[in-house]
Amino acid sequence: MIKIPYLTALTTLFSYGLLFVFGQLRDFFRKIIDWWSHNKLQGYAPICLGLEDFYIRRLYLRIQDCFNRPISSPPDAWFDVVERISNDYNKTLKRTTKVSRCLNLGSYNYLGFASADEYCTPRVIESLKRFSPSTCSTRVDGGTTVLHAELEECVANFVGKPAALVFGMGYVTNSAILPVITGKGGLIISDSLNHNSIVNGARGSRATVRVFQHNTPHHLEKVLREQIAEGQPRTHRPWKKIFVVVEGIYSMEGELCKLPEIVAICKKYKAFVYLDEAHSIGAVGQTGRGVCELLGVDTADVDIMMGTFTKSFGSCGGYIAGSKELIKYLKYTCPAHLYATSISPPSAQQIISSIKVILGEDGSKRGAQKLARIRDNGNFFRAELQKMGFEVLGDNDSPVMPIMLYNPSKIPAFSRECLKRNVAVVTVAFPATPLLLARARICVSAAHSREDLIKALEVISTVGDLVGIKYFPAEPEKQESRIKFE
Amino acid sequence: MAKLYVQAVPTTDLNRNTEWFTYPGVWTIYILILFFSWLVVLSVFGCSPGMAWTIVHLSHFVVTYQFFHWKKGTPFAEDQGVYNRLTWWEQIENGKQLTRNRKFLTVVPVVLYLIASHTTDYQHPMLFFNTLAVFILVVAKFPHMHKVRIFGINADQ
Repeated sequence: MIKIPYLTALTTLFSYGLLFVFGQLRDFFRKIIDWWSHNKLQGYAPICLGLEDFYIRRLYLRIQDCFNRPISSPPDAWFDVVERISNDYNKTLKRTTKVSRCLNLGSYNYLGFASADEYCTPRVIESLKRFSPSTCSTRVDGGTTVLHAELEECVANFVGKPAALVFGMGYVTNSAILPVITGKGGLIISDSLNHNSIVNGARGSRATVRVFQHNTPHHLEKVLREQIAEGQPRTHRPWKKIFVVVEGIYSMEGELCKLPEIVAICKKYKAFVYLDEAHSIGAVGQTGRGVCELLGVDTADVDIMMGTFTKSFGSCGGYIAGSKELIKYLKYTCPAHLYATSISPPSAQQIISSIKVILGEDGSKRGAQKLARIRDNGNFFRAELQKMGFEVLGDNDSPVMPIMLYNPSKIPAFSRECLKRNVAVVTVAFPATPLLLARARICVSAAHSREDLIKALEVISTVGDLVGIKYFPAEPEKQESRIKFE
Repeated sequence: MAKLYVQAVPTTDLNRNTEWFTYPGVWTIYILILFFSWLVVLSVFGCSPGMAWTIVHLSHFVVTYQFFHWKKGTPFAEDQGVYNRLTWWEQIENGKQLTRNRKFLTVVPVVLYLIASHTTDYQHPMLFFNTLAVFILVVAKFPHMHKVRIFGINADQ
């Protein structure tokens, strides 16, 4: 639950109102000036209808230098950020040749596989030489190599399901699977803070979509009862299928899903559970098997488990794991399997090798060490930030920790001041988050050492004082007794 | 003064254009902005308090009519244009009528009207303009006027 100081809520609303008013005034004068100037459209319709791009033009472009920063090295714990300059107040940005070496607090590099790894990289290079960078084909035509078969078996074993199906892109996995598993007479109940890929897939499936309050099982039960009692819209026939879609770790909140209660409710009302483990697979759990292991839920109770390989495995792509019949059905109906190019062989080899490292099958203890380190790093960082007085969201054991900023002017201030001190953070604002609740999202990784984290804490504390985001009282430092040697 | 904290409960409203209205502090800031704009008008024009309230009431009418009942759609493109035919008033809380927020927004112009007409001693021509403004605003907010376009004004092509 997010606690805002009341005065901050008022000033944030006022700031957004002021930005909105200034944007409207500038648009008004632009319209007058354009009325006098020559019309360049030559009879074609304009690309943007009405005020669709108001937010981009008048709010986002003002702070454009805080987003889309190009990097010129692998996203390890420290990386090179390319500097950009603007000559027209951030409307266009030009890259310079200068780079600055910054501490990386934004990449989803949970287990540290983003840079060269002693076990994975030689095998990836060998598979690149053996198989070439792309399969140049869809899975059904000529794009299934032995690596793909091995990868699917590996993923199914790792996740704890009978079979798995792998796709080349994580976003596409959600938006191409949801239209296939439900259709017009189905019901999808999704969490209010679900990712855009799930929203897109649910919209594309033409099933009825209902939303329940974020992570609130009793509201989910209320929505389920209401919908089952009413039936399909207008005909009131019973629903063909009901899916409840939740995520393992919500990336904007850092919260874990209340999976045991939700699975219990779904069993009671005979709804299917679709779990999106994009951020939690490989990062949480005793052996890295995700939220099911962490929260003690049997994987047989979750009907469809989806995940991506971009976060903890250092590769690209997504997977769906479920029963053998489900995967067989998906193999001949899912458009991402039939028409999209299969995952590239070196990426597949990277996933296989990283899973082997995590499970310890490469003969060393590095997997268990990485998992322990990310857990320790995450808990240490969160505890220290909370002690300093920041408002940090997220549960314990989650590697994602958003720091609340609220005010729209603090977003670029925090981002630019941190970059000046060589710490790269990702700031998120409206419309990815609710209007009042802008935040800076920190992702720790197993590649960060204790010194890196301490440096990050110092920088964030200094910048936090400068920008004024320590909304809670800081815990007083324990007075250490000093023994004076006379 | 000790810091008062409020809970920000996440809503189920998927429309990012309107879900900010359910967060804490919105009603207070609305009333505070109206009060401070009255003070600003008094200081800038140096007119009587009644005239200042009339000016605040009429500019409130223009601004809220333009943004609540005239402009359609959302200021960003992520929702793929599903709300392009709906004004902001028709979008809030998914079109559910007679909620607390809607009742509050209906009461505010009426209260402003009462203050403006009382402080100008119900004189013409201010009374006429104030009455016209509040009449248009309140009728536009009736539940029966949901998605109604009179004489095709502001309808889509």
